[in-house]
Amino acid sequence: MSASSESPAASMPGPPRGQLAALLTLVTGAACLLLQDYAPWMVRFPEAWTLPATELVGTGLDAVLSAIKPVMRAWSWLLSYPMSWANAVLVGSPWPLIIGAFTAAGWYIGGFRMASLTFLGFGFVLLSGYWSESMNTLSLVSVSVPLAVLAGGSLGILANEVPRIRAALLATLDAMQTIPTFAYLTPLLLLFGFGPVVGLVASAIYAAPPMARNVILGLERVDPEVKEASIMSGASRWQQLFLVEIPAASQQIMVGVNQCLMASLSMVIIAAVIGGFNDIGWEVLLTMRKAQFGQAFLAGLVIVIFAIVIDRLSGSLALERKRHDRRVTWGLLLSGAVGAALLALTGADTAPEGVFSAAAVAVDDSLGAFTATHGATLDGIKTSAMFYGLLPLRIGLDQAVLPFTWGFQWTPAMSLWLFAIAVLAGLGLAAAGRHMAGAGLVIAVGVVETGIAELPWPFVIVGTMSLAWVAQGTRLAVLSAALLGLVLISGLWDRALLSLYLSGAAVVACVVVGGAIGLLSAVSGIAWIIIRPVCDMLQTIPLFVFLIPTLMFFQIGEFSAFLAICAYAVVPMIRYTRHGLVSTPPEMLEAATSSGATPWQTMTDVRMPYAAPTILLGLNQTILYAFAMLVIAALIGTTGLGQSIYLALGQADVGLGVSAGAAMAILAFVADRLAQGFAEERRKALGL
Amino acid sequence: METGRGRGDTLISMAEQPAISVAGLWQVFGSDAASAFRRAQDEGGSSRDIAGRLEERGYIPAVRDACFEVAEGELFVIMGLSGSGKSTLLRGISRLVEPTAGHVSIEGEDILAASKARMTELRRSRIGMVFQHFGLFPHMSVIDNVAFPLKVGGMGRRERHDKVQCIIEMVGLKGREGAYPRELSGGQRQRVGIARSLAGDCSVWFLDEPFSALDPLIRRQLQDEFLDIRARLNTTIVFITHDIAEALKLADRIAIMRDGEIVQIGTPADIVLHPVDDYVREFARDVVRGRHAKVGSIMRADDDRAANGTPGLRPDMTLEDALATCMAHYEPVAVYDDGGNLLGTVDPQDIASALKADCG
Ligand SMILES: Nc1ncnc2c1ncn2[C@@H]1O[C@H](COP(=O)(O)OP(=O)(O)O)[C@@H](O)[C@H]1O
Ligand SMILES: [Mg+2]
Repeated sequence: MSASSESPAASMPGPPRGQLAALLTLVTGAACLLLQDYAPWMVRFPEAWTLPATELVGTGLDAVLSAIKPVMRAWSWLLSYPMSWANAVLVGSPWPLIIGAFTAAGWYIGGFRMASLTFLGFGFVLLSGYWSESMNTLSLVSVSVPLAVLAGGSLGILANEVPRIRAALLATLDAMQTIPTFAYLTPLLLLFGFGPVVGLVASAIYAAPPMARNVILGLERVDPEVKEASIMSGASRWQQLFLVEIPAASQQIMVGVNQCLMASLSMVIIAAVIGGFNDIGWEVLLTMRKAQFGQAFLAGLVIVIFAIVIDRLSGSLALERKRHDRRVTWGLLLSGAVGAALLALTGADTAPEGVFSAAAVAVDDSLGAFTATHGATLDGIKTSAMFYGLLPLRIGLDQAVLPFTWGFQWTPAMSLWLFAIAVLAGLGLAAAGRHMAGAGLVIAVGVVETGIAELPWPFVIVGTMSLAWVAQGTRLAVLSAALLGLVLISGLWDRALLSLYLSGAAVVACVVVGGAIGLLSAVSGIAWIIIRPVCDMLQTIPLFVFLIPTLMFFQIGEFSAFLAICAYAVVPMIRYTRHGLVSTPPEMLEAATSSGATPWQTMTDVRMPYAAPTILLGLNQTILYAFAMLVIAALIGTTGLGQSIYLALGQADVGLGVSAGAAMAILAFVADRLAQGFAEERRKALGL
Repeated sequence: METGRGRGDTLISMAEQPAISVAGLWQVFGSDAASAFRRAQDEGGSSRDIAGRLEERGYIPAVRDACFEVAEGELFVIMGLSGSGKSTLLRGISRLVEPTAGHVSIEGEDILAASKARMTELRRSRIGMVFQHFGLFPHMSVIDNVAFPLKVGGMGRRERHDKVQCIIEMVGLKGREGAYPRELSGGQRQRVGIARSLAGDCSVWFLDEPFSALDPLIRRQLQDEFLDIRARLNTTIVFITHDIAEALKLADRIAIMRDGEIVQIGTPADIVLHPVDDYVREFARDVVRGRHAKVGSIMRADDDRAANGTPGLRPDMTLEDALATCMAHYEPVAVYDDGGNLLGTVDPQDIASALKADCG
């Protein structure tokens, strides 16, 4: 039992540690403020102290990459075969056959519901006029998913068989999922050259971790008696694994396949930014660039429908055991073939021109009309959010408050007053026994006055260390400080703070909005009936698609990016908040009610504390989602690391791409560990 | 035949070589348990001292110095409260876990020295095991579950299905061959578990609380069927239970475990009539003694007093029945075997005191 060295948070009483940490942070902040005129290096890390990390990484990686390049090119050549076959089958087959085949599969897996969903989905794709683009995308997915399943599955089995490497492997998988998607693309681009293979490999790399995770989980959860029964039946290890454990874990493994499919689809579409392949993602990108938002919207819709069909199909493959009448399956397949034959006879075997293109043009026009008439309102929303919300967070009240927006000029005296009031209020709170609230208030005021992007680096590092120390202990504190220090000396610090600011703002917005919606869903069943499918859909949509609607209304810029991040990252907050709140044990609620608590008191005093660990996990997910989207949102205008990664891709600058990607991963990693640490600490405190 | 399989002391002397012999078996859990055990052992003392020392150092001595032998064809029951180490002991013998120290031999073969491949072979052909929660393979039909040991042994599909058909009939699952475990009731599932463990024609049969997860009625029914199957096959059986009534009903001999230690080994009558300590006595307390102790256990073979021969007792009668038969007698009553030969006598007073003993 060596728990004590792992989590001293549990063994030591909470408040003193928290207070000490808060005090330390406050003192550091105050010192930075006071000394900024005498020691400017305390605010801005001097450039002379940084290492040319991006160049170093660049030359190092270039050497490695060019060494393994021949092997990879051979791979690329090998992969081009299955790709062209898949492409030939999917694009070359007449559309009635493909629709028939997928509908038949839908029937076989999920009966009438799945069959009709598949039929309608593919029908929509056909009518949208994006048939061949969609089939191109599908052919990429159909090659990358088997690769990812194979790679992820083998890693999972390996981790199961060799327990010693398991921890290391899980950590690697964690890292692979925090590294932003665009960051892999740059080195892959150098290795494989322009073309669809990059997207293929990137999506296989991106989709392998969920597969591996689910295989590990599934094998771990096989009933120990089942494992022992197979041993006692005299099965060899190989037989145990393939005849018993893997089939017994098939449900969890199919969940992995489902996640793998979705990840692959998402990445294949994102990989369109490197171009070279006429798939549906490219179509979205192209129309977006040409500001044909109606068309972009239509193509986005095709992606969404595609994603939903694939998700539901593979999802029910994992969950339902019942298979449906084979005769209907054959019938559907046959009617597809007959349709194809008829089409060939009439000589019209190509997919029809989109019947919705007129609609798309109409959408474009009406959107144009809408923005023309409501342009002022939209602009108003955007500018007020920028000037009164985002900008102060970014550069602080001291610079954001200007006469032409706020009506007055911020002066140092105001800063002084603000701090004085904050300190007084903080002291008041502390005197009332709420030390942490007091310290938090002063810190928050300090951050808003200065702006996240302008925070002194010692303050950020000490603050993060303190949080880590409270959340988990010395080990995490040292680790986070070391990782952030790495970012600091790499010269990417300013960009990292910019990323931190935008994702931080989005996370705060998500917590407020998502928390409120989650609360509403918890208290009202009807609200949840409406909200739930929306959440389901938002989680199925590939990241890329979120950019389209925000772009339609708010053009390129930070605000659009902010909205896209929020739309994507708010879902876990809603889900976890609701889940935490509704899963309070009934006897606790009854006890509260019988003690005379009002529903609201029950909510604040019983359900919320009980839900805290779950909500913190939701926050953790929200943070990770926000970071993931931040990079994608670079397409429509963000600053910071996301932008660097995206630019690096355009310039094929491996050093910049990889080091900015690593910096981003570090931010995500630290935030993730902090949130998890707090969730764990709360859970322990509740004795769960 | 059934009576011939002596429930009693005769059995031990009858066996030339025990089917299973376990000596000085230790199972210690914890990191690097083997060297911790060696250290604790080197410090000397009784096995209790060693276990105490291990516990102090944070190890779990789940099985402590277990020694026993099971004769060929014997039904040996291991009984104890939950957590007393029964399963761990059995898993050590079958090498599902590697014992920390000791010696195990099955049918003369040193099990702990056997190679992996040899263990696999033994499990395919000689050892069968039944689990408390059945351990059925969820993705296989009944017949595939039952035939699994043959499948991994490399037997063809047709042949193995033919071969397990009679076992499936024996456990009463005829007609359910194509069903999946999730479609079966608890009792039926354990029948599948039993059938699977028998598919390899095992000569040593391990059952770890096979009926504990079942309803009392089903449990009784399966116990009876188990005894039937047992009468048909000539396997050596180690049966684990935490239920004294089940142990007394089934066992030839019972080993009682407490905190990883075997505290008493004896026939059902021994356990009921002569518990070695309060722990064992506590178990026997709820038992209606008359139903489990047999006349043979209190018979005096060397008695030369004139015996009343009229009612005549038999050694395998329960004390309850015996008491009813010779209620009216004050003198010793004769005991005859099946062939009518005089075996010895029983004093009605002994019956009464055996029934009363330790009742207070
Ligand atoms: N793999 C293991 N690691 C650590 N302790 C174990 C392990 N297996 C069993 N034990 C411990 O050994 C003791 C005996 O367990 P077990 O043999 O399952 O008892 P029983 O079958 O009599 O209920 C218990 O205290 C249990 O916690
Ligand atoms: Mg047990």
